[in-house]
Amino acid sequence: MASLRGLSRPVRSLPLAQLARQTAGGLRSRRCVSSQAAEAAAPVLNELEQTSLDVPELSHEEKLQYRPWKRAKDRKMRLPAQRYQYHPPKYYRGPLHPVQVPPSSDPIARDFVPGPFNNPRLRQTYYSTVASDIMTLTYMHVPPGTPEKDYSQRLRSWDDSSPYHKNRPLRGPRGGSALPLIERPITFNNIPRIEEITIATYVPEAIQEPDYLLVARTMLLALTGTTPEITKTKSNVVQWRIQKGKKAGVKTTLTGNAAYEFLDRCIHLVFPRIKDWEGINASTGDGSGNLAWGFDPEQMKLFPEIEVNYWLYPPKMLPGCRVFVKTTATSDRQARLLLQAMGLPFTGKIRD
Amino acid sequence: MSTSLLPSFRGLASRLLSRPFAFTSTLALTQQCRALSTTSSTQAPPGAQTKAEKKEREKKKKGRGEQQRDPKIINMLKHFAVLSPRRIPPPLRMGRNRYLRHWTIHRAWMLWLRKQREERERNWMRQWQSMYAACEELRLTSGPGTREEGYLYRVAMEKKGVYGLNPIPIEYARPQVETPPKQAWNHDWKR
Repeated sequence: MASLRGLSRPVRSLPLAQLARQTAGGLRSRRCVSSQAAEAAAPVLNELEQTSLDVPELSHEEKLQYRPWKRAKDRKMRLPAQRYQYHPPKYYRGPLHPVQVPPSSDPIARDFVPGPFNNPRLRQTYYSTVASDIMTLTYMHVPPGTPEKDYSQRLRSWDDSSPYHKNRPLRGPRGGSALPLIERPITFNNIPRIEEITIATYVPEAIQEPDYLLVARTMLLALTGTTPEITKTKSNVVQWRIQKGKKAGVKTTLTGNAAYEFLDRCIHLVFPRIKDWEGINASTGDGSGNLAWGFDPEQMKLFPEIEVNYWLYPPKMLPGCRVFVKTTATSDRQARLLLQAMGLPFTGKIRD
Repeated sequence: MSTSLLPSFRGLASRLLSRPFAFTSTLALTQQCRALSTTSSTQAPPGAQTKAEKKEREKKKKGRGEQQRDPKIINMLKHFAVLSPRRIPPPLRMGRNRYLRHWTIHRAWMLWLRKQREERERNWMRQWQSMYAACEELRLTSGPGTREEGYLYRVAMEKKGVYGLNPIPIEYARPQVETPPKQAWNHDWKR
């Protein structure tokens, strides 16, 4: 049919059967190498189904036997309708609700996404080469019989100097409320990998002028292909003109292939084009294997998605963004090693 | 663009074109509110006009009472209007056979992924175990010449600079692609 569409109008007005007969006859009169090859391969190809709509020919007795109404009448349960009638619920109402949403792999689910349609090259490189190299590079031998370190008591207890210390919960960690992870050695089932990437933008100007928020949303939409989530200001500062609870930021989280693609674009397209760029600050990290960096507003236009229609953004309204890479590494140095193996240079002082 | 849009979008462009006055700036609003109170405002004397107010008055004189928006902003708003949750298409519906066909393919795909993952993990485990065996062998052998037992093991376990700034040369990080170049690395390249 596709080739038919390209023909001229009068030819197209001819009946299709006539056209087909003419072309078939023309082919028969000529001998081609390809047709000979097809004839040679015919016994093999005959076993393949030409069409999935083929039905075996029924004999007279079989036709008499075929009584669907009888079968339907004898059936005790009614079959579901031919056209699948189930509609998944619009909202997830919690694990105890009788109506549950289908899994996202189900094609009728509302959050079903077809795919994956490609294998990101960074992912391919990681699984084929980088992972086993990291494991080999950081292998530390533990001779058999070595006693394991005891990490069971990580929180300090109270020193019973007061009678009120009795039955108190344990003291929190020193210097803050966060208890960083304990670094686990890298083994074959514990190789760090990239889990997700969060891209966040803070636009305090959006409190005065909501158009800034729209530009930030558009920018993240172009960068990630997902509808970004709007964040709100956490605190009141009069001098900075920010008010608590006002919409002043945008964020999205990429997982799986999208995260690898975004990291690939950062490493191979954006960072090399930043002028006088030496690398990411090596002191980044939250102590638990999550690294972060930022892009200035001027650097945002180096992303190909933004560069291609840069003129569509209002001038000087494009914000910068922060990128958080969440890895399965349990310490910053392991996460840094993973990103270094993927081609991300680090500079400055290391702080672990 | 507006002609090619769906009929439901027809009212959209005219609605987005102008913006209600309340959104312009909160500063102007607070100043308006202050005029109602008896105490004079601290930010500006009651008689004086700020630049923003002047602009607003000029725009009011034009007769619309509403501020014209940047066409670039209108363009962005149109895109987000298309993506709004009200316009998300309904979920797919499938006939029974088609659904079962999809289910079969999906199960096969999950099986394939599982097979790949298990093979990968088995390979890592094999590599790790051979490293373990090699290190154990090194630990129990006395080293080259007159070295004492475990010398080579201690040398092998020296992890110098592994967690430093340059543990892996940057040339290592070349992504593997389906169509690699014929010349793998140009050693003569200079900046």
